[in-house]
Amino acid sequence: MEQPHEIAMDVPRAWDRPVVTVPVLACLSLVGGQFPSFSAQANIWTLGTGGALIWLGLGNRVQRRPAPRRLGRGTVWWLLPAALFGVLEGATFVMAVGDEFPTFSRLADPLLEDQLVRSAAWFAWLAAFWGLVRR
Amino acid sequence: MMRTLAISGFLASLVLFAAVEWAARREGSRIPSLGDVCAYVMRYEVGPVPVGRIGVFGFWWWLGWHFLAR
Repeated sequence: MEQPHEIAMDVPRAWDRPVVTVPVLACLSLVGGQFPSFSAQANIWTLGTGGALIWLGLGNRVQRRPAPRRLGRGTVWWLLPAALFGVLEGATFVMAVGDEFPTFSRLADPLLEDQLVRSAAWFAWLAAFWGLVRR
Repeated sequence: MMRTLAISGFLASLVLFAAVEWAARREGSRIPSLGDVCAYVMRYEVGPVPVGRIGVFGFWWWLGWHFLAR
């Protein structure tokens, strides 16, 4: 059943605290870090954790921080790193010459083969996802 | 040579992301944080459909799937 909007927005849940969410995300990340790329488990784990977070984020089940009503001119500063990354990623992808001029994904793949690095990447992904759900 | 260019460029963009976020978090900064930019984009709705939230969540899910499952 859909919850009343006002109640869900104003009353923080008992589990919605860093002391609960950080260990939960850490456990999910440690499990996710064990699954190699292209495995069925990795696909299922990504679908399951991401799907659950999308479900939480699209409903009114989690208290959200207020969003800004408008953004100032300072926002254009974000175009600088985004444009540099976008142009490089586009160029490396279109040229498609492999390791000679690699895409970001191709550079990240060998690093993500290590289980510890993979778990850290999982944690970063899930923590940022949780941050988005709460916005 | 081209490989070094790609690595340097990607590293530079990551450093720039961190630098802009650091500048945004300073007292009295006019630059919004990346979280504020995302929150603003996620406010976009078409009628009752939260298009902004769906788009941002979809992009972030795809990013995780691309790097961690593919």
